[in-house]
Amino acid sequence: MTSVAVVGSGLAGFTAYQTLRRGLEPEQIVVLGTNADPVAAWRRRAAAIRQREMRSESDGHCLPTSFPGLALQSVWRRRSPAPLLETVTDRYHPTVAEFLEHVERRRERSRWDESFRLAHVEQVRAVDGGFELDGHGTFRHVLIAPGHPGLNMPGELRDDPRAVHAYEPHDYASTVTVVGAGLAAATEWLNALDAGAEVVSVRRREPVRRPLNVPREYLSRRGLDTFHGLGGQERIARLRSLLVPSYPPGRAWDEPLGRAAAEGRFRVGESVNGSEQVICATGFRHGFQHDPLLARLVADQGLATAEGWIVLAPDSTVPALTDEARTLALAGAPGQWAFPAADTITGAKYAAHRFLARIRSCRTR
Amino acid sequence: MSYTLTGRLHSRLTALLPVLLAALALSGTLHRWWPVELVALMAAVGVALDLQVWHRLLPYQPAWTMVPLGAVELALLMAIVVGFGLQVPLGPALALYGAGWGVAVVLALAGFPLLRLTYAEDGGELGRLGPVAAIAIGLALLGSAATYYARKPPVVHLAAGVHRGPLVITRREVLQGEPGAVVRGGIVVRHDNVEIRDVTVVGGSNGITVDGVHGTVLDGVSISGAKLDGIHVRTAGIVIRNCTIDMLGNPLGQGIDISFNMGMGMSMVDGCTIVGGMQGITTHSSMTEIVHNRVSRTSAQAISVAEMSMGTAMDNQIQDAVGVGLSCDDQSMCMFEHNTVVDTRDASGGGDRSARGFGLLASFGSEADVWDNELSANPVPIGTVTNSLIRRTRTTGW
Repeated sequence: MTSVAVVGSGLAGFTAYQTLRRGLEPEQIVVLGTNADPVAAWRRRAAAIRQREMRSESDGHCLPTSFPGLALQSVWRRRSPAPLLETVTDRYHPTVAEFLEHVERRRERSRWDESFRLAHVEQVRAVDGGFELDGHGTFRHVLIAPGHPGLNMPGELRDDPRAVHAYEPHDYASTVTVVGAGLAAATEWLNALDAGAEVVSVRRREPVRRPLNVPREYLSRRGLDTFHGLGGQERIARLRSLLVPSYPPGRAWDEPLGRAAAEGRFRVGESVNGSEQVICATGFRHGFQHDPLLARLVADQGLATAEGWIVLAPDSTVPALTDEARTLALAGAPGQWAFPAADTITGAKYAAHRFLARIRSCRTR
Repeated sequence: MSYTLTGRLHSRLTALLPVLLAALALSGTLHRWWPVELVALMAAVGVALDLQVWHRLLPYQPAWTMVPLGAVELALLMAIVVGFGLQVPLGPALALYGAGWGVAVVLALAGFPLLRLTYAEDGGELGRLGPVAAIAIGLALLGSAATYYARKPPVVHLAAGVHRGPLVITRREVLQGEPGAVVRGGIVVRHDNVEIRDVTVVGGSNGITVDGVHGTVLDGVSISGAKLDGIHVRTAGIVIRNCTIDMLGNPLGQGIDISFNMGMGMSMVDGCTIVGGMQGITTHSSMTEIVHNRVSRTSAQAISVAEMSMGTAMDNQIQDAVGVGLSCDDQSMCMFEHNTVVDTRDASGGGDRSARGFGLLASFGSEADVWDNELSANPVPIGTVTNSLIRRTRTTGW
């Protein structure tokens, strides 16, 4: 009997699938999603901002273990030990092409397509001994990885004909305002400068500079134990501070921006007035209420929430719907209550590892 | 990786487990405790640094820090080894530490993540394996300590005063002489692994006789009035340290005579003072290291490596020897380095060509490699007789 389902066929669902394959055969897992290609959405967004390198490091891959990392694979591909030397100093970042190739390889080897079913799940209903997935069957263990609930456009720019979201396909006008202060915004500053544009950066706060989305100690129990011990309001405040827009430090960013500023082609501005084009590098909508599946789940089951986050157990499961016989877990952005960097590959692995542990410990799986 | 404190300890101790097993095997093979002592020290230094320094200093630890952290831990380890005077050979100790460090790196970067899916997320914690490894290491070290103490030979204290000899030792023991303890009539060692410390021996056929046994240690013994040899060793492995031998008035005896121990491993004579006798230190068909000794007033050779022996003589001081200072004789292979030989005297009487007061002599088909010896005020500083060879090199040809 198939007892395990993954709802969502994006990167978080795909990463979870790779972990599940450590203990289960493809016929024991059902993946329900709207696209068989796990990087379809991610590839479009990366192409839109002309991303060439991953922010993640060697372990930013979909395999369940951190070793072997992408750096080791790059050694063979590039015929050079440089990736290994870079990775011991945390300077190695796989290229987007390397990452996509890795996903394609894993897709084939893990037999992802054998588990995939084209389906749009709108409702997850708790039933005796599991969850009924919108007519697609009843499963004892379900991991929901719905992805981001849409792009975030500032309200005042929604109807502005000059405005485009960074993750939508676009070219660059001769004067460009970039709204935002995260990695996408920083990438767009450089893209627009490379295209010969004059660039104005509009932002509410000075960007935080850090190598990864969150400080590294929040990727392990060192920081997470304290985080999990915080009360509701404290945890909300901590999440807000951890999830502020940021981009990595380094000369690759600072030197071109410094040169452009000296030439008068890059400046920080107060408003978007005067530019031919406004690029909104403002990320994604935040909150379960923007995702119909999650919004319905919360409403139907009366789940605890906190300002847009569904309250989760430290292992990324929904406490009210998880017991010894069944598991409901969230992965990807909706899992931030358990793991602040949930919308990264590392975050997807975190939820997946614990989901698999739950399945293994279930006597009736 | 952002280690939790528990994760640091789990990872360190589990990585140490294979090294400890190797050290136990090495100790068993070598019949020496230093590998286990070293691993115990590695564990102690590492855990102390984890608790007091690394955890506070490094909320996140990039992979490259394993190199400087390993170097700091090695420096601290060696400081303790040197500071406490532990008997640990430098080269093998560095090799063991290096192997342990390499195992830890490989396990931290590859082994543990493969073994445990959540290794990185758990901050290096290994679940049940961590405490099991800690307990295993604790038990192994406790077991080693217990074995060490159980195997320690009994210590027999020889009270101050004169004891009638010959004293024959027929069991494994440490004979510890109290200040003023004297054995008159000699000591005979007839059992393996006997250690004699701080005992004065007067008279006897030989001062101390060691025959056909392994692992004898003579430390701080003082010998005088022996009729034949001061220390007489046959077919036995021995370490002689810090001895004093007075052979004055005995023109035919040897201060120390180590013979026929070629199959017993390397013997050592270190830090002894010998006065008088026909030969100060002599070896026959033996492998011996003779270092830091002072030999004077001998009547034939001060130090003699003879009769197909292989031996090294280093940093010895020889004075007033009649005939020869340093001798490599009778098809032996010798390395003489950093020795000082002064004031030898000619005893040839115009006849024996090999007793012309050589500072250093190779004779009767022997080969001597020599380096940086100080030979002064000797009738013949250096020479060969009968098909022998002297090479000036600091590396032995054997």
